[in-house]
Amino acid sequence: MKKRAIALFLTLAMVLALAACGASGESGAGDGATLTIFNSKMEIQSQMEEMAQKYSSEKGVNVEVYYSSDTVAAHMSTKYASKDPYVLSMVDAKDIYSLGAEHAIDLSAEKWVGDTTQAISVDSKVLGFPVCVEARGILYNGDAIKKATGKDFDPAAIKTTADLKALIDEIVAGGAELPVGLQKEDWSLGAHYFAEVYEMHEDPDAFIAGIKDGSVSLKDDSVFNALMDTFDVLKEYNYAKDAPISAEREVTEMMLAEGDLCFKFGGNWDWSNMSGTDYTENIGMMPVPSSLDGYNTTLVGGGSKYFFIDNSVSEELQQAAKDFLNWLVYDEEGQDFLVNTCALVPAFSNITLPVSDPLGASVKAYADNGALTPNYNYLPDDHYAKIGASFQKYLAGQIDRAGFADEITAYWATAEVGAH
Amino acid sequence: MKKTAKRQNWTDLFLKTNTLSYKIKQYLMFAGPGTALFLCVVIVPFIYGLYLTFTSWDGVSKTKPFVGFENFSAAFSDSAYWSAMLRTVIYSVFAVVLINVVAFALAYLVTLGIKGQNFFRSGFFVPNLIGGIVLGYVWKFVFNRAFVAIFNSTSLLSTPKGAMFCLILASVWQYAGYMMLIYVAGFMSVSKDVKEAAFIDGCTSGQAMMHVTIPLMRSSFVQCIFLSITRCFVVYDVNLSLTKGEPFGSSVLAAMHVYNQAFTYKNYGLGQAEALILFIVCAVVGVTQVMIGKKGEVEA
Repeated sequence: MKKRAIALFLTLAMVLALAACGASGESGAGDGATLTIFNSKMEIQSQMEEMAQKYSSEKGVNVEVYYSSDTVAAHMSTKYASKDPYVLSMVDAKDIYSLGAEHAIDLSAEKWVGDTTQAISVDSKVLGFPVCVEARGILYNGDAIKKATGKDFDPAAIKTTADLKALIDEIVAGGAELPVGLQKEDWSLGAHYFAEVYEMHEDPDAFIAGIKDGSVSLKDDSVFNALMDTFDVLKEYNYAKDAPISAEREVTEMMLAEGDLCFKFGGNWDWSNMSGTDYTENIGMMPVPSSLDGYNTTLVGGGSKYFFIDNSVSEELQQAAKDFLNWLVYDEEGQDFLVNTCALVPAFSNITLPVSDPLGASVKAYADNGALTPNYNYLPDDHYAKIGASFQKYLAGQIDRAGFADEITAYWATAEVGAH
Repeated sequence: MKKTAKRQNWTDLFLKTNTLSYKIKQYLMFAGPGTALFLCVVIVPFIYGLYLTFTSWDGVSKTKPFVGFENFSAAFSDSAYWSAMLRTVIYSVFAVVLINVVAFALAYLVTLGIKGQNFFRSGFFVPNLIGGIVLGYVWKFVFNRAFVAIFNSTSLLSTPKGAMFCLILASVWQYAGYMMLIYVAGFMSVSKDVKEAAFIDGCTSGQAMMHVTIPLMRSSFVQCIFLSITRCFVVYDVNLSLTKGEPFGSSVLAAMHVYNQAFTYKNYGLGQAEALILFIVCAVVGVTQVMIGKKGEVEA
């Protein structure tokens, strides 16, 4: 009898184990009561977790915040492949276009839609809630420049590549031999610097279509050449010019913050690494200089990181997520969380709290003056990696500008921009 | 009377050992849980993966359009994939040879009977306990900062050949200790008698090593080479944290290309097809090596 009992027990245990195997797909986030939030901004993860705890106890909604070190698209793939989506996911703009139509609910009726210009709509339905505004440009350290030249730095005076070169020459004469930092990361080169070539064109779609069908010769394009001229100046005075590919982002950011560098190409997200350093006062952002008139007055950027609400979860959870978004925009605590705790530049005109970090303040100033050239959000998923790799070759001196242009043209022979 | 009938049943059930149902029960009892788990986590995902190679799924969409063999023809014409594969082969050849040479030498040294040899054994094994990701970051620091400061040169990681060299060096450092343990077991399994006999017959210690010890350790070699080949072919963690494929994509190994293809570029079906090809290549190389190795194995 005893043996039989054991056999029975083993069978039961096995069936249970197998059943658990099969059922796990449907459980998880959909357990009815938890508002799961995916955060893709690593630098605010601890703030998000604290906020979730506080929000849970005050509003009676159980909030949990998750982060992944995978790329956003990759992590979303895994979550959707395992049928265990987050209620509220923070993704990049391009992910809203690729995921939104299938997985996001329509937010057009929400009040905040009227208070922002950065929300993302697909098929005239608002699907993406802009978390913050981020922009790219040249970061400068005014104190370091003043130390070398003896003069106060006026970013508005640097318009053309020649202006920049003249100032750098002055700085070099003042003792700082290599005052520029350049990141080697493929996203910085491919998705941030090179993307400006598309974005600075009046109609990026037409420009890319032109490269594809051969009617535009990239080599002879004036915007491309103007931006590359500026890049050449930055490259010439790069502090890591002997081995530009081993420059480390954190080191470059720290050197700029502490005044060992005067310029760096980047964006206001760099502040998250600079805020922990012994930074100097006069730090800010300015547009990338260009010899073309009218192309050197704007930062490039706009809404960055978007929340969307999953359409497969229960109505209550969708409502809880909507309430949370409204809390961020209209509740004083929510606004304070966004602007002060996370040090983000809000994308909503009703939020009037002053932005606390200097780079964010620069971005806000440009945004308020309407001097932001919008992001081009429809580049293919492999664009940053492939163009980034070619750009790295250019940075390391392995190919010249013509060779670089050829590689880009070759890339576009097969690549397709995302649907929009 | 009733009781006897029941007893009869009982013996029928458990003592007739040559019936099919008995065998099935025995199998289920002992290997059932293992088989179930193996099915769950290996066979089912493998078959599902195979199915995905025939779709143009992007990894998130609800629909998985069927495209037949398109992904395989795309994989065969994906030049970036094949150059990553070639790089993997070069990396594996260097890494496998070096791992085994170093491991064998270390094993020899720590079985000589020198003082504190157990300490050395565990010391050389420690790198294997550090996860690949952490190890990659540690070596990145060494190559990018420490070596640059000491030799006052540019970082090795900034040139394509240098980056491959760094990858090989880090892998050798990681695996040599592990393989050393297998070789140590091999050395210890060769009995002293045969070596003594060789010496009495007039062998030098070099000859004894070449003609007696190494042939008797053949199974250790087969194992170590198999393990290092299969690991090197699918290496991803060290690749990711040490070089991330840089500079300019020149150190992307096959597994990393497959991951990027499937998840970053969102060509899940194509990535899956490329993963399958990588698996087949790896399996063919591994099995061939084991077959050749086993052929000449001698028993002591």
